[in-house]
Amino acid sequence: MERTLFTPKEARYPNNQSNGHYQLEMQSTNQPQSSHTSTSRSSDSGEPCGDGKWASKLLRECARAISEKDSTKIHHLLWMLNELASPYGDCDQKLASYFLQALFCKATESGQRCFKTLTSVAEKSHSFDSARKLILKFQEVSPWTTFGHVASNGAILESLEGESKLHIIDISDTLCTQWPTLLEALATRNDETPHLKLTVVVTASIVRSVMKEISQRMEKFARLMGVPFEFNVVSGLKSLGELTKEALGVQEDEAIAVNCIGALRKIEVEERGDVVRMLSSLQPRVVTVVEEEADFSSSKTDFVKCFEECLRFYTLYFEMLEESFIPTSNERLMLERECSRSMVRVLACEDEKGHDGDCERRERGSQWSERLKEVFSPVGFSDDCVDDVKALLKRYRTGWSHVLTQGDDSSGIYLTWKDEAVVWASAWKP
Amino acid sequence: MADGAISHGFTQNQIAGSNPPPCCYFFPSSFMMANPEAEVIALSPKTLMATNRFLCEICGKGFQRDQNLQLHRRGHNLPWKLKQRTSKEVRKRVYVCPEKSCVHNHPSRALGDLTGIKKHFCRKHGEKKWKCEKCAKRYAVQSDCKAHSKTCGTREYKCDCGTIFSRRDSFITHRAFCDALAEETARVNAASNINNAAAAGNNVNYHVMGASLVPSMPPHLASIFKPVQGNHRIIDSTRPEHTLWMNQEVYTDPIISCSNPPPSDYQLSWVLGNKDASSDAEELASVTGVGSQLVSVPSLFSTQTLNVSHHTPSANMSATALLQKAAQIGATSSDPSFLGSFGVKCSSNQVQDGNKYCGLYGTSSISTGLGSDVESSVNDLSTLNQLQMYPSKRRHIQNEDCTTTGGQTRDFLGVG
Repeated sequence: MERTLFTPKEARYPNNQSNGHYQLEMQSTNQPQSSHTSTSRSSDSGEPCGDGKWASKLLRECARAISEKDSTKIHHLLWMLNELASPYGDCDQKLASYFLQALFCKATESGQRCFKTLTSVAEKSHSFDSARKLILKFQEVSPWTTFGHVASNGAILESLEGESKLHIIDISDTLCTQWPTLLEALATRNDETPHLKLTVVVTASIVRSVMKEISQRMEKFARLMGVPFEFNVVSGLKSLGELTKEALGVQEDEAIAVNCIGALRKIEVEERGDVVRMLSSLQPRVVTVVEEEADFSSSKTDFVKCFEECLRFYTLYFEMLEESFIPTSNERLMLERECSRSMVRVLACEDEKGHDGDCERRERGSQWSERLKEVFSPVGFSDDCVDDVKALLKRYRTGWSHVLTQGDDSSGIYLTWKDEAVVWASAWKP
Repeated sequence: MADGAISHGFTQNQIAGSNPPPCCYFFPSSFMMANPEAEVIALSPKTLMATNRFLCEICGKGFQRDQNLQLHRRGHNLPWKLKQRTSKEVRKRVYVCPEKSCVHNHPSRALGDLTGIKKHFCRKHGEKKWKCEKCAKRYAVQSDCKAHSKTCGTREYKCDCGTIFSRRDSFITHRAFCDALAEETARVNAASNINNAAAAGNNVNYHVMGASLVPSMPPHLASIFKPVQGNHRIIDSTRPEHTLWMNQEVYTDPIISCSNPPPSDYQLSWVLGNKDASSDAEELASVTGVGSQLVSVPSLFSTQTLNVSHHTPSANMSATALLQKAAQIGATSSDPSFLGSFGVKCSSNQVQDGNKYCGLYGTSSISTGLGSDVESSVNDLSTLNQLQMYPSKRRHIQNEDCTTTGGQTRDFLGVG
């Protein structure tokens, strides 16, 4: 967080009650430092509604000001947020802190640079050990990712039942944490253990560096399980649209499953149709798609609307993180930092061609379904699969549930956190 | 027999030679292999699943079990003659499964126990109506479900690294990425590299895309397990998966016997850098597609070489010194009964060999590990022994790899 945004001089906006919306206690105007504890609330702006959700209000105001190009207001709000925000505080403070960064970048049109910096910082501090620790810990405390894994594995196993040569094309950044349980299931099936070829298509540059280590682990584990196994990594693609059967090493006698976890949102919005068609050209038996339930795409041109949706989604996410992890968790901090990159990317960067798979414009399940229905038809999750999901959710804290989609809209299953749909999982066949 | 009067009509007495009612069939007893005299009874699914099959001929009341029916009949105060069952000797009855596609449908595979065939039919062909509350696992037979519920969630899974899990799925995922797993097989890789310093390009970890994969270990890995003096097996108690390979009976020259490899290769392979780097680079090139970058190979090996340098003094020991060290470690090992689980005649000589081998690749801390873990290994490995290799089913991961010491194990090479 760039605390040096505001010098004391700039910060000395006197009691400038723009629009009369809020009072401001200027107790510590000399020091631009923000409070880093949750007790900073005491110097809070006296919001009329006492529900403590000051961050969302300020942030929305600021977003509106930016879209209206009201620079006085922008400055004021940014300053206020800066005073109150902290990445180490409570949810409101964290949201304020990370969104502040994105808003600032938007206001100053420095999103691209900021994103690059954040990414390179993350890459430098990224290692196999840290990534593994992070992802495994997250999976332990929250079903956010494991939900998609369980649903997808169930669909994959069922549609590839009876095949002897399996080829799973994994387009995700899950670091293969989905596959051990699938390998175990393959090993313990009642019939002949099939041969499994796993081709991982990596999009995030951060993930690329650890894939070698991951591949070794996977191969060793497959040996342990007694599953004939082959592992390949495909990386360095400019866009997923470049994938071909040849590039993936698809062979005629293989039964293909394509597994897209959080992958489709990485594609630039205009290219998504092409990529879906490309997937169909691989002639898979099943395509599993898991995406987070948020719409950052249809509001591309409307900043405030996009911001509202971002705010809604990330508030949910941060609250979920807060309730899932212990307060002093380092992993939680790292996950939050990852969000900050997404926020900057979505809110402050113009979508340009040639971006290396870092678009973060999510779409809702219904929107993805529309796209996928052009070339695929939905496959329902079997009762057994849904049972597995239910059993999975039972193993976590309360608050998690699932919802099956009704009707012929889509065949997906939603993960809900406090009755809000947060993750969507679906299966498709040609 | 009282059964004969039951309306379901599932005995043969009445129907022999006549047109049988649809739910009954009579097979010549010559089909029976195990019990030629046995009466083969084929019940329809409906009959099989009917709960009150035993009907009282007097009042028509139904009972689940014959004993209950007999008890009930006593209450009717029947004259002594009728109280007895018919004098005809009750023939041994065997039952076939009504499901035509089932292997037990054939009389030669009939089951002798009615309850057994009922359970079988339910389990295999029936609807799974019973569900475990905790894990949602489904069962067709209620008693199966009950039995499962008792132990569900109480099982604990322990990884080599010492972490304990109550959830099977998180245990499995952890296991796959645990360093303990990496260490074990890294040792194997190192060993194989020494033995096959000349055999480049066939690294275990990378299979060239498109190559037809034989589901067994690559030949050079098997090189570890050739007996020292021709017939003995070198068994590494710390690595179940290798003992699995043992069961496939592949033997090649042991490391110990080739105790004087060419020094340059020796050094090279200890470092584990060059061979792998080049072979992996080649294979990666063939693996990745047009226009794609290679996964950065150097990063991995820099990590490994770091570890190696940590143990450089060891790596530079002479072969003789290695053997001496191994001998020391071998002397402190215990529990030859473990070897017995592989049908190998135990001799202290073998244990010695086995641990000599281990000693090569482990620090002295391993010996304690061996001692303490072998016992648990016995159970796991004997289970594995039964389950054999790739067609193994229902393998229990739990405690399966209870092998290396937690945490403190750094293998000889410092690799992994």
